[in-house]
Amino acid sequence: MEKITIDNTFTPLVHNPDNVLEVNALKKYFPIKEGMLQRTVGYVRAVDGISFNIKRGTTMGLVGESGCGKTTVGRTILRLHEKSGGEVLFNGQEVHTLSKAQMRALRPKMQIIFQDPYSSLSPRLPIGEIVGEAVREHNIVPKEEFNDYIDEIMSECGLQPYHRDRYPHEFSGGQRQRICIARALALNPEFVVCDEPVSALDVSIQAQIINLLRDLQEEHNLTYLFISHDLSVVEHISDTIGVMYLGSLVEFGSKEDIFREPLHPYTKALFSAIPIPDPNSKMNRIVLEGSIPSPANPPKGCKFHTRCKNCMEKCKTEAPQPKEIEPGHFVVCHLYDNEPENKAE
Amino acid sequence: MAEENKKNSRAGALDDEQRVKVLSPSMLVFKRFIRNRLAIVGVAFIVFMFLFAFVGGWISPYGEDQVFTHYEGLEKDYASVTVNDNYRYTVVEGEAFDSLAQSKFILALNTGAATFEAQGKTYSYEQKGEDLYVVNGTTTVARGMSNKMMTAVKPVEGVTLPDGFEAAANAAISAGEVSFTFEGVTYVVSIEGREAVVGTGAPIALASKTVYDTVDSSIETGFDFRLAAETAIAAGATSFEADGVTYGLSVEPEVGATITRDGEMIALASNTVVSSYIAGQVLTLEFKDAAKEAIANDLTEFEFNDATYVIYRNNTIWDIRSETQTQVVNAYEAPSFTHWLGTDGNGMDLLTRIMYGGRVSLVIGFIVVFIAAFLGVILGGVAGYFGKWVDSVIMRIVDIFNCIPSTPLIIILGSIMDAERVDPQIRMLYLMLILGFLSWPGVARLVRGQILSLREQEFMTATEACGLTVSHRIFRHLVPNVMPQLIVTCTMSLGSTIITESTLSFLGLGVKYPFASWGNIISAVSTVHVMTNYWFVWIPAGLCILITVLGFNFVGDGLRDAFDPKMKR
Repeated sequence: MEKITIDNTFTPLVHNPDNVLEVNALKKYFPIKEGMLQRTVGYVRAVDGISFNIKRGTTMGLVGESGCGKTTVGRTILRLHEKSGGEVLFNGQEVHTLSKAQMRALRPKMQIIFQDPYSSLSPRLPIGEIVGEAVREHNIVPKEEFNDYIDEIMSECGLQPYHRDRYPHEFSGGQRQRICIARALALNPEFVVCDEPVSALDVSIQAQIINLLRDLQEEHNLTYLFISHDLSVVEHISDTIGVMYLGSLVEFGSKEDIFREPLHPYTKALFSAIPIPDPNSKMNRIVLEGSIPSPANPPKGCKFHTRCKNCMEKCKTEAPQPKEIEPGHFVVCHLYDNEPENKAE
Repeated sequence: MAEENKKNSRAGALDDEQRVKVLSPSMLVFKRFIRNRLAIVGVAFIVFMFLFAFVGGWISPYGEDQVFTHYEGLEKDYASVTVNDNYRYTVVEGEAFDSLAQSKFILALNTGAATFEAQGKTYSYEQKGEDLYVVNGTTTVARGMSNKMMTAVKPVEGVTLPDGFEAAANAAISAGEVSFTFEGVTYVVSIEGREAVVGTGAPIALASKTVYDTVDSSIETGFDFRLAAETAIAAGATSFEADGVTYGLSVEPEVGATITRDGEMIALASNTVVSSYIAGQVLTLEFKDAAKEAIANDLTEFEFNDATYVIYRNNTIWDIRSETQTQVVNAYEAPSFTHWLGTDGNGMDLLTRIMYGGRVSLVIGFIVVFIAAFLGVILGGVAGYFGKWVDSVIMRIVDIFNCIPSTPLIIILGSIMDAERVDPQIRMLYLMLILGFLSWPGVARLVRGQILSLREQEFMTATEACGLTVSHRIFRHLVPNVMPQLIVTCTMSLGSTIITESTLSFLGLGVKYPFASWGNIISAVSTVHVMTNYWFVWIPAGLCILITVLGFNFVGDGLRDAFDPKMKR
């Protein structure tokens, strides 16, 4: 039987000090094991060669439909999953080669806010403990300032100091998400992965949380990777946007560029699904046919060709390369092969 | 500052949110638990059993293996006393007075004959007192015709008699004397029809109804001694002399005479015989004296050497029965004020034993569950947390343990311990270890399953993202979340462990005598007889098992419901 290997060829990045996070050709394959001996018979290519970078103090929105690998990207960056290939540079430091102790020391700098505020809080610990235990363990503040520090963080996140003695079950979803934010923020991070932090909340609470995140970003000069499938939320908070399809980035650019002129057929379809809050306007919706292919066996050539209405022969055989159409606006599609490359850089 | 804020805001106290009482999850569980009536009943059962077993055993005045006995007077045939109606013969040394002669003597005595013959020998006798005769053996020296007219005896052939003998003899015979003395020799005359026979007579035996009991066999009660003694008794003297020794004598009417030498009692002369019923037993003189005295005084019982003897009269035979105090175990004594639940077959106080048995059962239950939980949490936790091959190895071990048929194994181990004569206390320890080692797989499986599901929860990912240490993650995040199920399982298995222990003890493989356990108290019921007649032996112990197990199950159910957040508050 043929040996399945992961192609791990990439050109190493040169670190740009402006960027907090640089991701280069990142791959995360989950092995499929079968049989008595649990032999690897294939891989689920959850993240299949993704490259982007995030400037300090900005927010990158990562959008895509369910199952396209957004969450895996976020977790692999934080080394909650081990990468299968590529690079993750945090302040120029490769995250996945650090020793356990070094990694532990780096943890507070990169935090995550989870999608589900219910399962992300241990039900048996009081809030003060949930927020404060990592602070204590990493000695973020001196012991005598600990209580004040926790109170301060909590009030920043819209929680009252007396909430400290309460338990998660006594809080509403929005409050729980604030607790999660407080937990992440208490470690004084530079970079926060917001993994669909508002998708489990109702709209009014979503706005509160988004505004809270923005306020905190300003205050602490935070950098966010904001993962969402909700384009309106992403539009609201992001500076740059990456569009993912089946483990790969199909379009990457500033929020303004992408919302003004989405280039990739998938992005176009996606953006056409944004509801317009006006009953009289007719939506010009592009409906994608078929369903998302299995990431274990992605289509050859352009991964999107099976559902693309602009599909060409070339798309079925040859994988497109990222192309910078305007400054900072990349698209991965053969449609733009003949467009002039932007040489502004 | 924040501290102050906190205080101030608390002092405000009108803020609605603050007035909501803060309850930790454990407090919530507790609140839900105490609202469950059945669970409270269970707690009451368990508390009662604990107090009963631990405080009760301490208060109880009796020990765990204290055997209760009482003394019971047991009458045994000891000795008999009979009045001697037969003559007893004391023969002079060197002479013979055989049984034929003895019967001839009795015949002569009854017919009033003065002499009698036996085996060619002529005997005469002389009365010396009531029932006291001296038998003289005679050798015929002369015989001859004797009638009213004249008497003429001639010496027997071969016998030479002193001169003048004939004249003296004739005179004596004519005078009708039975004996006469001539030249210092006593001659006996017996008239047989027309023939008179003269013989020399010397005492050869003493016939009397007096029985002599001596201190020991060294005291010779020969002819001379007896003759002297009995003559003295008949005469009412206080001393007599025999063989050059002076003996003291004191006669008690109807009892007999006590013969002393140098102030010490050496023999007892009386007309009663005291003989022992017990083979090989020698009755002392003092006992005989006491017995005779008691009989003479018509007593029904008497004391001798701190023992009581009872006398039963049966015509001329008195039976003496000794009343020996025998220690008897109070087996199967019905409930009373001294033993509230009676005693068991070994005579031990049942209530006390049930208390101590409760200690054993509860302690074994807790230790077994502790061992099982300890091993189960560690192995299950390791398997669940580390997963992969560690999980596979540990779970295969669990499978192997689940394949072991525990009851046969325990029975085999129990009989091995029986064969090795393991000390009961150490045996108890082994029992706990065996039961604990056999029951950890269930806990391990539970903990592993819980941890496997918890590990995938986002709060565990969060702890990793926060860079918490592994021990912190396990002991502050995983273990507290496994606790509810663990507590419920452990509480439930406490009941079943107590049942298992009782079953083993009932089968004689668990806790052994002298240690009590509810199981081995019940195991006294091996026959229908015990079951139907001695209900107090097994019903209370059975009830204890029932109550305790029910209690643990109620509490377990209550805890499970209380831990279930979907339950109505």
